[in-house]
Amino acid sequence: MIVKGRVWRFGDDIDTDQIYPGKYLPLTDKSEMARHAMEGTDRGGEFMRGIKAGDIIVAGKNFGCGSSREHAPVAIKGVGISVVIARSFARIFHRNCVNMGLPILLFDDPDRLADGDLIEVDVATGVIVNTTRGEKLTAQTLSALELDIMKAGGLFAYLKDVD
Amino acid sequence: MTIIEKIFSRAAGKDVKPGEYVWAKLNLVAMRDFGGPNVIQEYEEHYGTRPVFDAQRVAVTFDLHIPARNEKVAENQKTLRGFVHRQGARLFDVNTGVGQHILLESGLVHPGDIVVGTDSHMNLLGAVGAAGFGMGTTDVAGAMYKGKLWFEVPRTIRINVTGTFRDFVGAKDLILHIVNRLTTSGTLNRAVEFTGEVVDRLKIWERITVASMVTEMSGDVGFIVPDEGIIDFIESRAGQPVQRIAPDPDAGYEKEYEFDVDDLNPQIACPHSPDNVRDVAELAGTPVDQVFIGSCTNGRLEDLESAADLLKGRRIKDGVRMIIVPATMEVARAAVRSGIHEIFLASGGVVTNPGCALCTTGHPGILAPGETMISTSNRNFVGKLGKGANVYLASPAVAAATAIAGEITDPRSI
Repeated sequence: MIVKGRVWRFGDDIDTDQIYPGKYLPLTDKSEMARHAMEGTDRGGEFMRGIKAGDIIVAGKNFGCGSSREHAPVAIKGVGISVVIARSFARIFHRNCVNMGLPILLFDDPDRLADGDLIEVDVATGVIVNTTRGEKLTAQTLSALELDIMKAGGLFAYLKDVD
Repeated sequence: MTIIEKIFSRAAGKDVKPGEYVWAKLNLVAMRDFGGPNVIQEYEEHYGTRPVFDAQRVAVTFDLHIPARNEKVAENQKTLRGFVHRQGARLFDVNTGVGQHILLESGLVHPGDIVVGTDSHMNLLGAVGAAGFGMGTTDVAGAMYKGKLWFEVPRTIRINVTGTFRDFVGAKDLILHIVNRLTTSGTLNRAVEFTGEVVDRLKIWERITVASMVTEMSGDVGFIVPDEGIIDFIESRAGQPVQRIAPDPDAGYEKEYEFDVDDLNPQIACPHSPDNVRDVAELAGTPVDQVFIGSCTNGRLEDLESAADLLKGRRIKDGVRMIIVPATMEVARAAVRSGIHEIFLASGGVVTNPGCALCTTGHPGILAPGETMISTSNRNFVGKLGKGANVYLASPAVAAATAIAGEITDPRSI
């Protein structure tokens, strides 16, 4: 699975309150949730005005830390983000992404990807082509089980075939 | 094997190793008024009216927006009550308290169990040697149907604590000190085992405080080996004998840290991160607008007692608001019986009904821009309790001393 989009850079320890502020927790409609993606970060307004389907979030360590709200990846996926690349992810956020089929990649050197760069990402192999800079990079892919869950279309689809 | 390796080996029906992906059987699946309605929506979309894997092992706890604070929340709670009624699951309604505490008090959590729920502090169940995992709605919905989930077996970090606490220094100061040294990503995706003479002496309420803040280091779960006191507590609540759990003497740890508390002073986490920790004395004199005593981290009776000891016969500073929230109804009633409820009211405090309280902006008592609060909770992220507000984290004793003085105060100076 290959996706292509522009990079939106974020720093370390972006918590779920920044990805999806707590005041919107009572919302249950996914398209409403998508309108608040990344709203609590220091570039929330700019993100919502500039985001295009296929764009890619690149962040530092521990992306998605904090509360267990699945609203956070739902909002990111809903607004059109095609893959999230980070140095590391918080466990609950990581699971939520796998379970809903939002691709994520672990990448040790996110500073090689600058804000606004156009990149192409192969989610299954971890190969990242930075078209803007003419660089080819390799990220760590998910485990075989996680890729299978993503390929099936998420946890519910996958569980149908589990005893 | 470490504790988490033993738990996953039992639940997967085979010996497991760290880094391995396994399907594990679950002992209990919980959801709350936050996240719960989304779980029901997912469940019914995918499984319709089909029964959950075991209705006695599915629990709904109301602890966040209780009683319902607006129409949307009321509707969400109605959805959850309807699901419980149709499925025959367990319901702990708005008159009970913080979910994990209620599950413990009800004897539904035993050492060695795996419990999943829509709460990132589910891991405080490590206080009794159970593996609690906060999960998103998809996981919890799938778990309710299948009674099992996929896991990566985490590596384990050991934290050994020696020494003796000084007066007015305890479990909260210890865990803030640990979070400071290890940072908010210090145990990322790892299990933790707390050991040593200091940890061995901790009672259940203090073990809850320590285990709950493993989340603030991005850890999966933090265990303390249950002693006889813990086993007695669980067995008396469960009404049946329970299994014990402990690591093997040759268990393999990824890292080991040593801490000594002999020289530890009261600790405080400053805005806006739980690892931005200093000695309370360094912050002395910082004015506060509000004090919160409660939460899943410090809402037990003994937590409230340590605040009441300082507040007895005193008034809080004019212009300061103090909000006190017992973790559960059992705690609230004990506080009324023992007279500490009266101490809080007489000192100028507001005591609200049991629950999670000031953990998010959903609860009464949130802050205006520019205001400062000292809280006994576990997180002080930017904007979590009101845009532009500053939140400090400390023990109930530090919070009470601060309420009396109107500024951040080391309780030893009262």
